[in-house]
Amino acid sequence: MKEDWGKEAGNIIARWARKHSLWVLAYGTGCGAIEIPPTMTSRYDAERFGITGMATPRQADVLLITGYLAVKTLKRVIRTYEQMQSPKYVMGFGSCTINGGMYWDSYNTIKRLDDYLPVDIFINGCMPRPEGVIDGFIELQKLIDSGQANGWKKYQDNLEWYRTNQKKVIKNWKMPDYNW
Amino acid sequence: MSDTLQKEEQIKASINAAFRSAKVSIQRKGRIIVEFRGGILPAFASYLKEYLNFKHLSMISGVDWPEDNQFELVYHLWSYEQSIHVMVKVRLDREAAKTKTLTPLWEHAETYEREIHEMLGVEFEGHPNMRDFILEDWDDLPPMRRDFMTREYVDEVYEWRKGREDAQDVRQTIAEQYNTEVPNFNNEDK
Repeated sequence: MKEDWGKEAGNIIARWARKHSLWVLAYGTGCGAIEIPPTMTSRYDAERFGITGMATPRQADVLLITGYLAVKTLKRVIRTYEQMQSPKYVMGFGSCTINGGMYWDSYNTIKRLDDYLPVDIFINGCMPRPEGVIDGFIELQKLIDSGQANGWKKYQDNLEWYRTNQKKVIKNWKMPDYNW
Repeated sequence: MSDTLQKEEQIKASINAAFRSAKVSIQRKGRIIVEFRGGILPAFASYLKEYLNFKHLSMISGVDWPEDNQFELVYHLWSYEQSIHVMVKVRLDREAAKTKTLTPLWEHAETYEREIHEMLGVEFEGHPNMRDFILEDWDDLPPMRRDFMTREYVDEVYEWRKGREDAQDVRQTIAEQYNTEVPNFNNEDK
């Protein structure tokens, strides 16, 4: 028998509880936010997986980046992300978060979301349909269950690297410092 | 149909009488183009608004002409009584692009002028509020100028993901980065 079986059992229960109550911050960037209402409402009914919307970042678990991120929005998103309580997960939604998508040569949108925020899972497609979104959430639940969804730890450990990338595009950095 | 352009001809005649430097042309029924070399715009706009009843400013747009070393501002005016659309085209020097604001005549010109100031770098004298409009902390060349090299700026500021430039699948690079398997989508059985 393992010596720290009590801790391990606690972890299993915590992960089980976390994966079945994913509260998504009701925040949409870009055009992808239009896919969220059908995902949440009766036709696709994401609440059967424990996925529901939440109004404030301090109570939410998942930050959905729905589509392209302008530099101006990125600043707000970083601030929102840092206000969220750990454990927290980031989903990159649509091609724009992966490689810029159709905004690949735009002067004002970022091309790789995982340079600025730790992304736990990407959903590709432009736009991904609600089935794709739910599929992504189920993948995220699997990652949480197996303990692989630890982007928030990665962010804490590599804060310096993320900050450097963030400050490279956000020219006027006037943000409060959060400490964990 | 010979009398259909009567109203337009009347307006053309009265503009020509009052402002000799304006070049008026009738594009078609209900559409008049007035061209200027710049300078007398506020007086001309108030003349159109007060005497010729063009009460509605639909929009202001800006065009960059680096070939002529000029900016062109197009003011779209509309008359409800006569159902006529007037486009007032003003040419400004590209090096010292400066003109007077139209906010005393139409308050909502403020928004359009702010946008043109941000995107093309045209100065509007007397504008009450020339802050950032859409962009934040932009310190490069105004991005809608045609000599602003978007691709070079993007290359310099942002990181490309491998596979983007040569139109290859990016799933491989993401999988390598996260040490996961490449997702396999089977589209052949459809």
